[in-house]
This record gives sequence, structure tokens and C-alpha cells, in this order.
Amino acid sequence: MALAKPIGEYESVRAWFESLREQWGEEPDDWDEKTRALDAFCSFVDKEPDTIIAECIRESESVRKISVKGRRFYNDKIAEWQDQLAGERREQARAGNTVRSFLIHNGIFLQSGMQT
Amino acid sequence: MEFKQVVGRRRSIRFFEPDKPVEREKIQTILEAARLSSCAVNAQWLRAIVVERDKLDRQTLDTLKTPVSATNLELAPVHIYFYGDRGVVPRTKGSTLKELVDVGALAPAHGWSHKFVDEFVFPQILEPSSRSPEMASIGIAIDCGVAMNQALLTAVDEGLGGCFSAFNPGIAKQAFDVPDDWLPLYVLLIGYPAESWEAGGQRPRPPFEELYFEGKYGAPFKRDEKVIETLKKADMIQAPAPLPGRKEEVRELARRFGLPE
Repeated sequence: MALAKPIGEYESVRAWFESLREQWGEEPDDWDEKTRALDAFCSFVDKEPDTIIAECIRESESVRKISVKGRRFYNDKIAEWQDQLAGERREQARAGNTVRSFLIHNGIFLQSGMQT
Repeated sequence: MEFKQVVGRRRSIRFFEPDKPVEREKIQTILEAARLSSCAVNAQWLRAIVVERDKLDRQTLDTLKTPVSATNLELAPVHIYFYGDRGVVPRTKGSTLKELVDVGALAPAHGWSHKFVDEFVFPQILEPSSRSPEMASIGIAIDCGVAMNQALLTAVDEGLGGCFSAFNPGIAKQAFDVPDDWLPLYVLLIGYPAESWEAGGQRPRPPFEELYFEGKYGAPFKRDEKVIETLKKADMIQAPAPLPGRKEEVRELARRFGLPE
């Protein structure tokens, strides 16, 4: 699925960029690489970035909670996606961690362990 | 290390050297320290199961993880799973208190006798409270926490890093043959730190005066600047986080271990 608008215009992607700037105190110099990886993952799961985040959240008695099911689904999908990428294991892991970073900086707590 | 320095240098270490083994004598020293801790009724509720991470099969390690402890469990070469044995008081029936009378720790000077333990303390206090899961769990958790902290500080004194983490108690029960009446607490993860010992500096704490009072609530216990200076010299009070370069350190560690940034 092609995205409906440029990836940088999605709210979740803007939130990711903003959180990365705040976390590291500098402008990341690899935006293009990051957004390319996220774009490819979006195609893989056939979802838009904001939809991915929304599916990791559930509303319970008007409280936003992390959806265990949604998080597990995307955790597994990231692992599946990075494994089928071309390149060395290290590069696959880097791409997978880029997508994990997108989820984490949108408040979706995720620990997938070492990807080495 | 001096005691104050041990207290000052302790950090919750979350990046371990995953392949650097911990010497068996250091693990024993940590457990010896836990055994010597203060404990109400001298009950000694604390139990521990030491597990080398690399002796766990992959599926067990993966299922022991909780969402917040997955990376920690994977990086730490040694896991010490702590439990409180809820069966101690029903089994010992006050005998641990009477031992304290026998060795002179509890004396008639303070009103203690075997008869007092047998006729009042055990039947009227210990036995009923051991039947209340809530009351028993609170007492056990407090005393086990004291012992576990003694273990943690000893790990620091031995040059190790440590961090208490959650674990999946159902999986641990199966994997380690844990008795039914053991209360799962935390796992103490230990190993050699992959991060610098400063680990970014002493963690933020609320102001002293907001925590501790003198005479009554609302009257802060006043800090003496001279004491603070003495504790700084003794390395107990150290530079607060974040130390310069911490972000770079965390980023390097994340890249080294293949973790997200």
C-alpha cells in the first residue's frame, strides 16, 4: 500500500522525530534512512504509521493503555520483516531497530532484546 | 570499598557484559550477606535460586521475561531469583524467637522469655498473621527487601553491577521447581557493568526535606551542610545525573548490543 501522504506528515512520525531530537539533544543526521526503513515496514504490514501506533493502543474506561496483542503483533512483524531484508545481519537489525524506535518514541514500550 | 562509597556508587545497572562470567565466590559472598541481614522474628524468609543465564534454554529465558525486563534478563549473565518462604512461621512455631532468647539477643531485660513466645507471641500474633496472606506478604516483603538490598550492596562491593527486575513467576515456578508457598519477589540481575560505573551519575531524588521530618510531619529534618560535605568526600553523595557524555554512552551501548535508540 502506498502511503496517502509524505511519511513525514504523519502525526506519529512527527512525534518520533521530536522525541528523538529531545532524547539525543541534536538533529539526527539519518532522517532519510529512518523514514525509508519505516516506509518499507509500512508497506510490509500494509498499514500507515499512525494506524500502527493506534493498533498498539486500546482505550479502557477512557484510559489509554498499551494493547498487549497489538504490541506483540508488531514486535513479531518487525522481527519477520528484518529477517527477510537483504544484507548482513547487522544491517537487518539496524533497520528493525529503527522501526522499534518509532514505536518506542510514540510511547509503545518495547524490549525485543539484543539484535546482534 | 568503604561502606559509604558502596552506597554512593550503587546504581541500577542495566547494561552488562553479557559474556563475562561472574566468579562463583562472588555469588556466594552476595548470598552470605543476604543471610546476615536483619529480619523480624529472625524468621529468615528469604530464599534464592541462582541461575546462570546460559544454562537456561532459549524458550525458558524468553518466557521468564516481562515487557519491562526483557533486555535486562538477556544481558545479565547471572540471575538470582528471590522469594519469600511463607511456610517459615507455621513450620518454626516461634522457635526462631526462642533461639534469640537462648543466645541472649532477646533478654528478660526487655521482657522476653520462652513462655511469652509459646503462650502469647506465636499463638496470638505470629500464627494468626501467617494465616492472613495480605499481612504475611507485607511482613515478608519488607524483611526480604532488607536482605535483598544487603545482597545488592555486596554485589557493588565485589565490583559487580546489579539491578532488581521483574520476572514471570509462573514460568520460574515451573523451570526452577519453586515450592507452592514461596512468594515471588524480584530477580537480582548481576554481572560486570558494560556501562561506566558512574552510569551517568546518581539518580534524581526528591529533596531531603520533603522526605524526612523531625518531631512531626511537616517539620523537615534540617540538613547540615558540613555533613553533606563529609559525605561528598566519602563518595556517598556524588555528582547527580546526568553526567556529561551519558547520552553518547547510552547510544554507544545501544549500538554495541543492537538495541533501539
